[in-house]
Amino acid sequence: MDTQATPEPTKLRASRANLPGSASTFGAALPFLALLAIGVAFPLFGGGYWGVIATRACVYWVLVSGLNLVVGFAGQIAIGWVALLTLGAYTTSVLAAGNVMPALPPYLALAIAAPVGAVFGLIVGLPALRLRTFYFAITTLGFATIVTQVALAWQSVTGGGVGVPGPVFPEPFASQWGFYYLCLGLAAVCTWMTANIAASRFGRALTAIRDAEVAAEASGIAKPVLLGTVFLFSGAVAAVAGGLFAALQSYITPDAFTLDLSVLFFIAILIGGRSSVLGPLLGTILLTVLPEFAAPLVAWSTFLYAVLLLVIVLAIPGGIAELLDFRNRRPLESDRAIVPQPLLVARLLDAAPAAGSLTLDQVGLSFGGVRAIDGLDLEIRAGQVHGLIGPNGSGKTTTLNVISGYYAPQRGAVRLNGAALPALARHLRARMRIARTFQTPRIVGSASVLQNVMIGGTIHGHGTFAESLLSLPRHWRDEAMLRDTAMLALATVGLERLAPVRADRLQHAELRFIEIARALMLRPAFLLLDEPAAGLSVEEITRLSTLLLAIARAGTGVLLVEHHPDLIFDVCHHVTVLNLGKMLAAGRPAEIRSHREVVNAYLGG
Amino acid sequence: MVESIVLSGTAMGCIYALVAVTYNVMFSASRVFSFTAGALGMLGGVLGALFIARMGLPVALGLVLVLVGGALLGIVTEIVAVRPVLKSLDQHLYVLSTLALALMIQQFTAIQWSTEPQPFPRLLDITRSEFDQQFWLPMLACAAVIGGLELLYRHTLIGHAFLAIAEDNYAARALGLPERGLRMTSYALAGVIGTLAGFAGGEMLLAFFANAPMLTFYGFVPVALGGMGNNRGAVVAGLLLGLFQQTANFLVGGIFASVAVFTVFIIVLLARPEGLVGAALQRRV
Amino acid sequence: MPMTRRQVLASGAAAIAGSVAKPAIAAKEPIPIGYLPALTGPSSSTGVGINRGIQLAVQEINAAGGIDGRQIELITRDTQSDPTKAVNGAAELTRGQKVSVVFGPVNSGESLAVVPLLARTNTPQVHPCWVDSLTDPKKYPMCFRNAPTNQQIGGAANGYVVDVLKHKKVAVVSDTTGYGTASVNAYVPMLKAKGADVVYQGNVDAANPDLRPELLRMRSAGAEAIMPWSVNAGFLSRIINTRGQMDWDVPIVGQTTLGSGQTQALLEKPDYWAKVYPNNFRSVCYAADGKLSDRTSAFLDRLKSAKIEMGDTLLWWIALGYDSPRMIAEAMKAVGTEAEQVTGYLNKLKEFGGVYGDISFTPDRHDGYPDAEVVMVEANSLKEGAFKVAPGYGA
Repeated sequence: MDTQATPEPTKLRASRANLPGSASTFGAALPFLALLAIGVAFPLFGGGYWGVIATRACVYWVLVSGLNLVVGFAGQIAIGWVALLTLGAYTTSVLAAGNVMPALPPYLALAIAAPVGAVFGLIVGLPALRLRTFYFAITTLGFATIVTQVALAWQSVTGGGVGVPGPVFPEPFASQWGFYYLCLGLAAVCTWMTANIAASRFGRALTAIRDAEVAAEASGIAKPVLLGTVFLFSGAVAAVAGGLFAALQSYITPDAFTLDLSVLFFIAILIGGRSSVLGPLLGTILLTVLPEFAAPLVAWSTFLYAVLLLVIVLAIPGGIAELLDFRNRRPLESDRAIVPQPLLVARLLDAAPAAGSLTLDQVGLSFGGVRAIDGLDLEIRAGQVHGLIGPNGSGKTTTLNVISGYYAPQRGAVRLNGAALPALARHLRARMRIARTFQTPRIVGSASVLQNVMIGGTIHGHGTFAESLLSLPRHWRDEAMLRDTAMLALATVGLERLAPVRADRLQHAELRFIEIARALMLRPAFLLLDEPAAGLSVEEITRLSTLLLAIARAGTGVLLVEHHPDLIFDVCHHVTVLNLGKMLAAGRPAEIRSHREVVNAYLGG
Repeated sequence: MVESIVLSGTAMGCIYALVAVTYNVMFSASRVFSFTAGALGMLGGVLGALFIARMGLPVALGLVLVLVGGALLGIVTEIVAVRPVLKSLDQHLYVLSTLALALMIQQFTAIQWSTEPQPFPRLLDITRSEFDQQFWLPMLACAAVIGGLELLYRHTLIGHAFLAIAEDNYAARALGLPERGLRMTSYALAGVIGTLAGFAGGEMLLAFFANAPMLTFYGFVPVALGGMGNNRGAVVAGLLLGLFQQTANFLVGGIFASVAVFTVFIIVLLARPEGLVGAALQRRV
Repeated sequence: MPMTRRQVLASGAAAIAGSVAKPAIAAKEPIPIGYLPALTGPSSSTGVGINRGIQLAVQEINAAGGIDGRQIELITRDTQSDPTKAVNGAAELTRGQKVSVVFGPVNSGESLAVVPLLARTNTPQVHPCWVDSLTDPKKYPMCFRNAPTNQQIGGAANGYVVDVLKHKKVAVVSDTTGYGTASVNAYVPMLKAKGADVVYQGNVDAANPDLRPELLRMRSAGAEAIMPWSVNAGFLSRIINTRGQMDWDVPIVGQTTLGSGQTQALLEKPDYWAKVYPNNFRSVCYAADGKLSDRTSAFLDRLKSAKIEMGDTLLWWIALGYDSPRMIAEAMKAVGTEAEQVTGYLNKLKEFGGVYGDISFTPDRHDGYPDAEVVMVEANSLKEGAFKVAPGYGA
């Protein structure tokens, strides 16, 4: 049918060179290696005093690297994380000093502090799943105060106001530089681990939760599990930082763990920029070192941090990372055309979906007194495009939201091959290979186009969080698989040349196609599209129709909610017309086009 | 003992309630919470001590200056920390910008005023008694503010306009209401209420920069429990909070009292995230 | 105009000559002495007072030619009452500035962190902190205390309450600093050993504006005396004010800061200062005949002529600050600036005559202040920085 030669692996391979994560992995690692080299050589040129400051920066970074996943990537405003530093410091010190039980060797004490910190990280973080942003921020502040007060009150263990001596690590880490290298080493390990997560499906999923939560759910990402894992990791790492902090201080009292410290950690991440590891690393170093340049600055340090934060929020929300993002400063071509390649659809959707249907069975839903959907029957069959049209407010998007699990029907049921779908389990839809797009594109603006599409395939990864953390083989296999599939999806919708570009630089029409590419990552049995043609030019709509027909031909059942009559009538095999939540008419496009009531209520003319 | 608990609990509760109202007024105008509410409360006390005790101004003039200062600070908050981020796609920037501003105010006060609590002047020259002015001044302020707000919202045009903006922003703008001016005025009003809270409570709280984080937290608890934007709920929750806190303070002492308050707050909030009175949030997809 | 080759050579020669001549100039290099006061923050009253004395003494020593022609360079790092900053400061003084001796920190909470650190860097240290564990000739061989210990202080205060005022039911309260907590932990057993009944024992956040709950609890427990241990003038003033507001007639016996000018300035009414008995030191108190010792009178005159403010602090702090660099300077004059030498000298110090008191150390005892000098005084007898000994107190 189509005389266009199938675009080939060669074309795809060529574009890979511009991708994040291949040859440019070394480029990405270069700044870190440079910092590490400076760090290793530091004792040669830095004096003893700057050694203390450098060690402190390393210890802070150990905590901030973990907190970065929570605040920077997942976007949770956890301001009171000093609570975990306090916890780790006291746990390590008390165990090493032998206040409650015979003294343990410092390494063991540190190793025990980690799981304790993990558990408390989970406790402090879990309210994020239930509470709105500001409320969660306040509760973390509350936790920070509780931990400090408990440290003050529990004199028999913590020494109360008197405090406890910090752990002393045995040689070779007992001397100043020895301890510095210990902290530098741990900081390097934490950098490596968090960078691994950042470049994994978990890191991308976190940014999706932060910036496009509904899209994340639609892609199957389970927020509680992922956030819980990140809180565990972040808490563990913060507790280890606490143990190191106690050793650095050589003596800890509750008043060493001030709100100012918490603010420092938090602001370092925001100055550094979200979704970045390098940015917060530079931010931490900057904020640790800045007050040391002048004694008066020390008193004003928190004030300065706050000013920096305000400036960043107002002027450069992307932080240092945005300043360093040279690649995304290159101008894009202005006359970009979106040229989908429908022939690739068959390759992309090669897993043959089971024949079947998605039905709505007398579904009803009211919001207050308004009947949004009133007894609707609908059937989407595999391999067919089913259009859903109607005036504004007729319930089209609501229907789509019911199918994808955002609302629970009050009457009736949504059935997949006869079995009722669980009502509000949004993130399970992806596992059932039901994918969707949104009326307003939900994209992670700060991530690249490729990363956005890879988010769609998150649940197809097999490796665990720990395997990504430690850069084990299954992580790499997942990444390769997701990258290849995403490139294929982008080629299918015609956007592969924009793969490395940051998504918020793209035009509206391109974002719509990216959403489709992302949805196709699930190799959906059913694809629900919410006004995909809104804002598209005539040419783009034509290309969209060809694409949709190809998707249907590959066996997917498509539900197309739309306003553009031409698109509907060109592409759909079956059309349902809604009005005021009720089905006004249903049938083949030709029938609908001339249906009298439909014309009166909606089509006109 | 019981009298002391009731007196100081009610008085502290009124202060917390007023800070909660400050939060609510800002929230009604902009749909965001601002960390600066606690800082406003703190400044009421610090500026009051500055004008009256240190500079020797008469009490009435000092009060007026403090309230003017509060209004100015409220407007500054709106212009610097709220307006620029409302337009942004990232909905949570307001947390950061208001946090930054609140920290700046706090630290500046700590360095320029003092890091230690400074005495707050005795406002009315009456001898001390059981039911002393340090207790009934906050109660009076709270009653005045609540009464005033009721009058404002129900019987004045501008009050109706505030309610309209809070209820449905788009519709209000479509009707031609000057959204930006009303929002600035709301924030100025919130500034006045916040500093009034600190001023009326100055004899109890003293002029201390660390009142800012304390009021930020304790002033927010009534908002969370009473429902966002709900002033009556805030007052009730504030009084309950004050009584609970002071009971714990008098019976077991400061450290355990604050741990108790935080713990109860977090547990209640987890059980009912929308507050004891508020409505559950509907999310638009 | 561009330099000629001859000028370059000439200046190069001068530079080389200058560096070769260095050893002779080095002998006149200043002696760096590290100083870790808390000049700001909640526990700064002690540091501010001591600072006035130290600055005067260092000025005088340097004006008189220094130590063998070498000037003393006092390198100050304000700890801001924060143990973390004290550690930072100590690290910088020893590793960065390479000081010969450290004086301070002046607050126990900060010293708890700094003493082990200075011991590890083998830097001699003299400090005036009271918490008992802050000297240990075995663990910290180079650390000396030229002020009393908590045992000495507590002995005097507890003795006054139980034996002189004859009160058995006592409330002991402190702030939440290391000093406050350690003091309460030390004094409660001492009181119990004397047969007293400790009806209230608590650590309260010093910044707490409202102390009525605490005092009400003391009163309902039947306390007959309040013993506060804190160097925070605001906290202490609030205890005194609350007692006055409650019209509760019990004596307040405790930390020396109860009598400082800073505390006095924060009182709501001057008569609230009645029945307040801080501890102080005989050397800087009026004797029974109303006169100061000659040494102290002379010191007061010197302070007045140097226009040093005394009204907002305590005389003994200034005196202690004055004595400390003189003691260190005497050691250095005798044996030089090497750490081992200075330590050796101090280990044998016998009755170094200070305004504040005569300090003696032995290799087994690094607490240099004599017991007999600790007394209780009457706060509102303050005149020109000195107090009258408390009524009923042994003369």
